[in-house]
Order: sequence, then structure tokens, then C-alpha cells
Amino acid sequence: MAGIICKHINKKYGELEVVEDFSLEVADQEFIVFLGPSGCGKSTILRMLAGLEDITGGDLLIGGQRMNDAEPGDRGIAMVFQNYALYPHMTIRENIAFGLRRQKTPESEIDQRVGAVTKTLGLKPYLGRKPTALSGGQQQRVAIARAMIKTPDVFLFDEPLSNLDAKLRAHMRVEIARLHKELRTTSVYVTHDQMEAMTLADRIVLLNAGRIEQIGTPEEIYSAPRTLFVAGFIGTPAMNFLTLRPRRTETGWQLCGDSFQLAISGSAFDLHEGQQVIMGLRPSRLRPVDAGFSGPSVQGEVSLTEFHGDSVLASFSLDGVDLGSLMPAEERPREGANLTFGFAEEDIHLFDAGSGISLRC
Amino acid sequence: MFRQKSLPYVFLVPTILILMILAFVPLGYAINLSFRNMTLFRPDSSYVGFENFVNLWSDRRFLNALWVSAKWQVITVTATMLAAVFLGVLMFETLSPRQRNIMCLIFLVPVLLPRVCAAFVWRFAFHPLYGIFTYPYRAITGEPLEILSNPNLALWAVAYVDLWQWGFFFAVIIVKLLEALPHQPIEAARLDHARTWEIHAYITLPMLRAQLVALTLIKAIESLRSFDLIYVMTRGGPGISTETLDMYAFSQGFIEAGRISYASSMAVIMLLLTIIIFTIIWKRVRA
Repeated sequence: MAGIICKHINKKYGELEVVEDFSLEVADQEFIVFLGPSGCGKSTILRMLAGLEDITGGDLLIGGQRMNDAEPGDRGIAMVFQNYALYPHMTIRENIAFGLRRQKTPESEIDQRVGAVTKTLGLKPYLGRKPTALSGGQQQRVAIARAMIKTPDVFLFDEPLSNLDAKLRAHMRVEIARLHKELRTTSVYVTHDQMEAMTLADRIVLLNAGRIEQIGTPEEIYSAPRTLFVAGFIGTPAMNFLTLRPRRTETGWQLCGDSFQLAISGSAFDLHEGQQVIMGLRPSRLRPVDAGFSGPSVQGEVSLTEFHGDSVLASFSLDGVDLGSLMPAEERPREGANLTFGFAEEDIHLFDAGSGISLRC
Repeated sequence: MFRQKSLPYVFLVPTILILMILAFVPLGYAINLSFRNMTLFRPDSSYVGFENFVNLWSDRRFLNALWVSAKWQVITVTATMLAAVFLGVLMFETLSPRQRNIMCLIFLVPVLLPRVCAAFVWRFAFHPLYGIFTYPYRAITGEPLEILSNPNLALWAVAYVDLWQWGFFFAVIIVKLLEALPHQPIEAARLDHARTWEIHAYITLPMLRAQLVALTLIKAIESLRSFDLIYVMTRGGPGISTETLDMYAFSQGFIEAGRISYASSMAVIMLLLTIIIFTIIWKRVRA
């Protein structure tokens, strides 16, 4: 097992820089998830770790050794691909054993290791079949078996669940989490699915346009997003955003919209007069309140309610911006009702409107 | 309703009819001829049953032609496929996509040349006194190099020209097939410690099995039609060392003896052998 260190890694295709200055330390046994929208460079970074893409600049260390120019096979890694990448003309057994055969492992040891891996992943009945005779979930399990059998120092996962249907995806997610608990192999997992990232990761690396937006535990990323992008990317339903102007008052600060003011103490934020700020507030923290509510609140006419099962998302418009409020299903308001929605000051996030950086101090 | 149903027939029936007449009338005529004793010197002829076919098996020149044809097929098909796979993989591994496209363009030139032209060009290149191919040998030893008049070399020299035309062309097809393969299994194999040759031997070429088999069959059919190449380069010579079945049938029928019926019986045997052998190969490959 081994840790990974990336020092100022960048990647250019000609003049186009797709990854700029990527630095990250992954501890031994850690499960790291690269999360970001399509085209943010997360797969490119993973492929550079694997040796499938050249590294333009910077240093890559795996287990303390510089691996920039090492062959993919010599890096002590194993990778699981999005579309499984099984060898279509080989049986499942041949697929799993291919890597060991290339290393001239004795046949008896291959048998024993294939047996052990297929038992863990429940693939025993399929060993003689070709990949096309298996379902997507089973094929991905074969791909994981093929990676596991090499007993690598590092596992790389490139969106391994994206080709599966929702139910199977949830199942395989649990299976991967269970495997990691058992094997404790350092893992780097690429996904655009925040649910996978939140549930699997020890730490999430959130990427956008080739840059790191934030590195942190799932809790940190969810509750203290460092940038506007992170705040908008994480959380379902998505965070509400309002553009406001702060004004100092005797008791603290007032955040002014066109048709309303919100009084806060502002002690947790670095605010200035004349600044433009964007306030973020998760729909689950914006709740209908009684007339006696003393905290900050806004008025709105419910224009639409969406039933989510346990909860209901009520939408209303404020200064031309659509806001959502998530409430228990039994409190579902009728559409057209005029309600007061309130929140607590500690639940708001404030970002500088220009730079998008959090104003929390 | 009737119009809708009849429309396909309106287009198909005349076409198929013409094709069938063009294909089956000469075939039937040849089969009919092969049971007669017609020559170009006498207007009358009569049915002689299987006499022509029986005589063939004691004709040593026919047996030689059969053997030369078999050699020709095996040599040209094998050489073309091996060279094409080798060149295709080499281009795929060593050249950038842009360079590959330029090479492909160059590689297409030989096959665009009509076979008769290629045959003339190479016959001159093999010329003992003036040929560019034999020049280095002449320059070093001062002796002329006889290639096309050497019974041991002539077939190889003609096969070489066939390889020059088709090997490069098939290499282009194979490099394009390799480019069209999904990348991920190749990448997975690289992570699985496979070396470059192992990736192709165990992953890419087995993935292209069906296409390679199809190419082999296409080349085998193409090799059957090499009459013009051999005719221009050696006329079956020296002696009968490059005389394939079609060459011998042609010379029996039109050049030497005018024995049309005898030549037809050879053509019929060639047809039967081709059908049988191709059917066997096809069945084997599909199994």
C-alpha cells in the first residue's frame, strides 16, 4: 500500500491547458474522490496517475517514488474503467487472470487467487462465460475482480458506476465501500455524482475547469463550501442564491434586496459597505414560519410544489429569483398560499459576488 | 395494395434476370462443352461423357498446374495477410494519426495501378540487364541476375508483385480497423503488464478476428483472378513453372491446341474445387 503525492502537476494539449497546478497528498489507505462536472479535468488527472496520459509538468510520487515516466504496469496501480473495458473475446476467468499470466505467475497460484477474488465478488458461476453474456453490474464486478487480483498499492476508479441503472448503482456503491473497508487499499475515485462522492469519500477533491475548488471531508464540503461553485454543485435540491447589498446598522448588518431586508449580526463574515454579496441557503434550512418568528425571514407566494416522498419542495419567487423551501410532506402548502419563510443566521453562506469566494472568516 | 407488393419485383426481376443470364448461360455452356470433344479445328463434335475429365488426371501438365495454383494461393494469401498485419500494427504503434494518414495515402497507390501496368513495370524492374531491382546484384558481381527466367524464383517474383499491390492496401485497412477499436481494453492491458506485442497478439488481433477472416477470404478470391499478372510477367514460364490452372486452360483452349472442350473441363474442375474449398474454410471459421 502507498500514499500518492502530486506536486504542481499540469497538463497541456498543445497550447490548451486542461489541468493547471494540481497539488494533492493522498494518505495511505485513504479513499479520495475527484468530483466535478464533465470536462473539469478529473478523468485526465486520474489517467495521468495511471500513466495513460503524459504529465506535462510537476511531480507524481506513488509510495515515495517518482512515477512520472514509469510504465502503467510498473506503478503498482489497478484501474476500473467506466465501460468496464473487459477483453471481449476472453472468458471471465481469462479476463481476470490476464494480468497474472503476463507476469508469468505460476498456474497453481493463478487458480488459487482467481478462486479467492471470485468468491469475494460472487463471480464463481460465471467464470466460463464471455463478458457479453453478463449484465452490466456483473461486468463491472469482473472489472473490479481484474483490478483486485493484482493486489495493487492503489486503486483507480474512473466513473465505474456511470453505466449502471440507478438501483444497481446504489448496490455497487455499497459493495465498493465494503471492499474498501476490507482491503484498506488507497483509492482514487472519479465521479460526477455527488451522492457517490459523499457516501464513499474520506476526502473529496472538488474540481472545476482544471482547478481545485475545495478539498475536504464530505461534511466540510457540504456545510462550509469555500466557493460559490462548490455551494451550487453540492446538495440536492440545489442551494438558493440571492444577490444582496450589506449595510451596517447599530446592531449588526442588514442585507438588502430590492424589496426586502434581512437583519443579521454578520459576526461570522467579513463584510464591507458597498460590497455585493451572494447569499446561499439550502432549501432544507428555509422553512415556513409563524408570524411570531424573530429571525430573518422573507415573504413569498408558493407558485409550485414538488412531491419528493418524505418531503415537499415549495417554490416561490423573490425579486425575480426562484427560491425553494424543503419541508416535511405533511406540511405541504397549497399552491398560491402566501407564506413567511424564515431561517437561522448560522445556516447562511455569504460569497463575494465578484470572486465567488466565501466571506466566512 | 397490388402496386405496393409488385413494385420491388418490377425493379428486381429484370436485374436479377440479366445477372443470371450473364452468369449461368456461359456456365451452362462451359459444362456442356466439357462433356464434348470440340476443338477449334473441326466444326463438328459429339458427346464423349467423362473422357475429358478422366484424361486430365493422367495429364502431368494439368497436375503441375493444380500444384502451382495451390502454391500461388497459399503464398499470396499468407504473405499478404502477414505483411498487412505487420505493417498495420507497426504504423499504429509508431506513427501519429497524421503521419498514419499520409502513409495510408502512399500505401494506396500500388493497388490503384491496373494489374497489367503493375505487371509490366515489375517485369521491367526484374529485367536481367536493365532492371532497377537487379541493379545492385549487377553492380556488385558484374553478372546479370535472372529472376523471371529462373524456374525456382519466377513464381516468388510474381507473388512478390501481388504482395506489393495488395499487402500495402490491406495494411491500410488493418490500421483503420485498429484505430476503430475501443481504447479501453488496450489501456486495461497496458495496466495488466502486457507488452506492446502482447497487446496485439492477445487483445487487438483477437478482437479483429472476424474482420481478419473476411479479409483473408477476400484476398483468396482476389488471388484466384491473377491471370493477367502472371500472363504479362511470365506467360506461365519458364517452362511450366508458373502455369496456374487458368493459364493452362487458356493455352490448351486458345494458344496451343484449340482443345476447347478439354479446357472447359479444367474450368469446371476449378469451379468445383473453389466451391468445395471455400465452403470448408467458411464452415471451419464460423464454428
